[in-house]
Amino acid sequence: MARLELSNVSKSYGAFDAITDVSLAIEDGEFAVFVGPSGCGKSTLLRLIAGLDPISDGAIRIGPDDVTRRPAGTRSVAMVFQSYALYPHMSVYDNIAFPLQMERRSKGDIRQQVEKAAGTVQLSTRLKDKPSKLSGGQRQRVAIARAIVRKPKIFLMDEPLSNLDAALRIEMRTELTQLHKELGATMVYVTHDQLEAMTMADRIVVLNGGRVEQVGRPMDLYHKPVNRFVAGFIGSPPMNMLRGKVKAIESEYYSFEAAGIGTIVIDGLAKRLKIGEEVVLGIRPEFLAPHPAGSEPLVKIGVVPRSVERLGAQTIVHSVIEGQNFTCVFAGDQVVEPGRALNVYCDAANIHVFDAAGITVSRN
Amino acid sequence: MALQNSTSRPVKTVRFHQNWSAYAFLAPALVILFLSLLLPAVATLLMSFTDVSFLKPTSFIGFDNYIKLFNDTRFQQAVGNTIHYTIGVTFPTMLLGLLAAVALNQKVPGRMAFRTIFYLPVLTSLIAAAVVWAYVYEPYAGPLNGVLTRVGLPPQPWLQNPSLAMNALIIMAIWRDFGTAMIIYLAGLQDIPNDLYEAARLDGAKGKDIFLRITVPMLSSVTFYLLIILIVQTFQVFGAIYVMTQGGPLGSTETVVYQMYQTAFGYTEFGYGAAMSTILFLTILVFSIIGTRIMRRKDA
Repeated sequence: MARLELSNVSKSYGAFDAITDVSLAIEDGEFAVFVGPSGCGKSTLLRLIAGLDPISDGAIRIGPDDVTRRPAGTRSVAMVFQSYALYPHMSVYDNIAFPLQMERRSKGDIRQQVEKAAGTVQLSTRLKDKPSKLSGGQRQRVAIARAIVRKPKIFLMDEPLSNLDAALRIEMRTELTQLHKELGATMVYVTHDQLEAMTMADRIVVLNGGRVEQVGRPMDLYHKPVNRFVAGFIGSPPMNMLRGKVKAIESEYYSFEAAGIGTIVIDGLAKRLKIGEEVVLGIRPEFLAPHPAGSEPLVKIGVVPRSVERLGAQTIVHSVIEGQNFTCVFAGDQVVEPGRALNVYCDAANIHVFDAAGITVSRN
Repeated sequence: MALQNSTSRPVKTVRFHQNWSAYAFLAPALVILFLSLLLPAVATLLMSFTDVSFLKPTSFIGFDNYIKLFNDTRFQQAVGNTIHYTIGVTFPTMLLGLLAAVALNQKVPGRMAFRTIFYLPVLTSLIAAAVVWAYVYEPYAGPLNGVLTRVGLPPQPWLQNPSLAMNALIIMAIWRDFGTAMIIYLAGLQDIPNDLYEAARLDGAKGKDIFLRITVPMLSSVTFYLLIILIVQTFQVFGAIYVMTQGGPLGSTETVVYQMYQTAFGYTEFGYGAAMSTILFLTILVFSIIGTRIMRRKDA
């Protein structure tokens, strides 16, 4: 196991900058998740760490070693691919044994290590089968066994669960988290699914347009997003965004005029906004309640539900305010009817304020 | 009522009525295949049990032609020559085709030009190519001996020496056929997912291991296919021999098909030639069946 450090890493394909000046450190034994929308550069960054593509600028260190110019096979990293990338002509045993065979280990040692790795992923009875005889979940386990058998310093996983069905994905998510605990390994995991990121990560790296938007623990990203992009990306359903303007500033109270809602007063914001400045107000759907409750000051918002989704434990209410989608998440048994107006309430302390550039206005 | 009528019809009749247009479209091709392939094949088989010839009246002689064939040392030599030619052409053609395909599957400058150049011999007329190669091998004015002389080596009677002639024909066949092998291998290589190579690189595999442990096994279906078509094709070699050596010198390049042609049309022993043809047909059939079985098993 080892620490992974990226220093000013950039990758360009001609005039296109896929990764721009990324610097971050992933600690020994940490489970880091790279998350972001399609094309944000998360898989590219993983490939740069693996050595599958050369970097254009910067440096990569694994433990004490600068591996920037080292070929893929000598970096002591193992990767689990989205497609599993199992060798279809080899048995499960040979697939798992392949990296050890490349190290020219003895047959006895290889057998011992393969059986141990297969046992870890519960595949001991399928060692003679070809990958084509296995289910998607079992193939994924073979890929994981092939990665762990090498005892690499860093595990890289490129959307490893995206080809599995929903139920199996949840099961494998738990198993991977468990495996991480057992191995105590440094893992870098790429996904576009923020739910996977939130449930599995020690720390999340949010990427957008080849740049790191924010690095932090899951609940820090949820509660304290540094900008509008992170706020909108982390959380499901996504945060409601309402356009507004600074109407008045009195002492530490800011008064905003929000489109379609009216005046909202928020206190405790950093004093860097000016009267008349355009802002976006962000409210998480799960912080909206159908009844006034909790501490003051409460913000009241009138909505007309367009559709209602009943998920059992939750009821999701979709509406539109001034052309913007506005979603509320209530308890599962909440009575809501489409077309019938209702007021929803939110604690002003739970409203995020973003300036015109999309940067979060922090609270004192 | 309509439903009752349709359900009361026998299933086979209903199917035929539903598919009559498909049979109608197939009919012309089936008629041509019957007239050009099946009918001559059956006629050849029947002829092989006779002594049909221009020189005497035809009579049924049972398996006499086959018994004669198995004791005919000239036929045995032709079989040996055919096997020599088949092995000599098939394996180097596949090996060169594979190496060329692997090389030209990389992003090397001018790879499209090289692919075209290597494939060009396949497109040339066999007769034209044979005439050119006959000139290349020409002992006095041929360019090959010209090169040998220039580098201080003795000129060789390529097509006149019994121990060289078959190898000279093999070299020409490899030159002509390896483009086909290259194209088929290229298609096979492009079917191998790049993920496998990346996984192998991460697993610590280098060039030779990747080639032997990933590329070659992943191409096994293509290799079997090529092996079968090359064996079937080389077993039937005729044109190059007809143009360049006429089976000589001393029968060293006489293959089964060339001898069959000579027997039937040179010596007008049609019955005996038909027996040779039947043996060749059965041999090729066996290879085709083995090839098809292997391919099916691999696909399953």
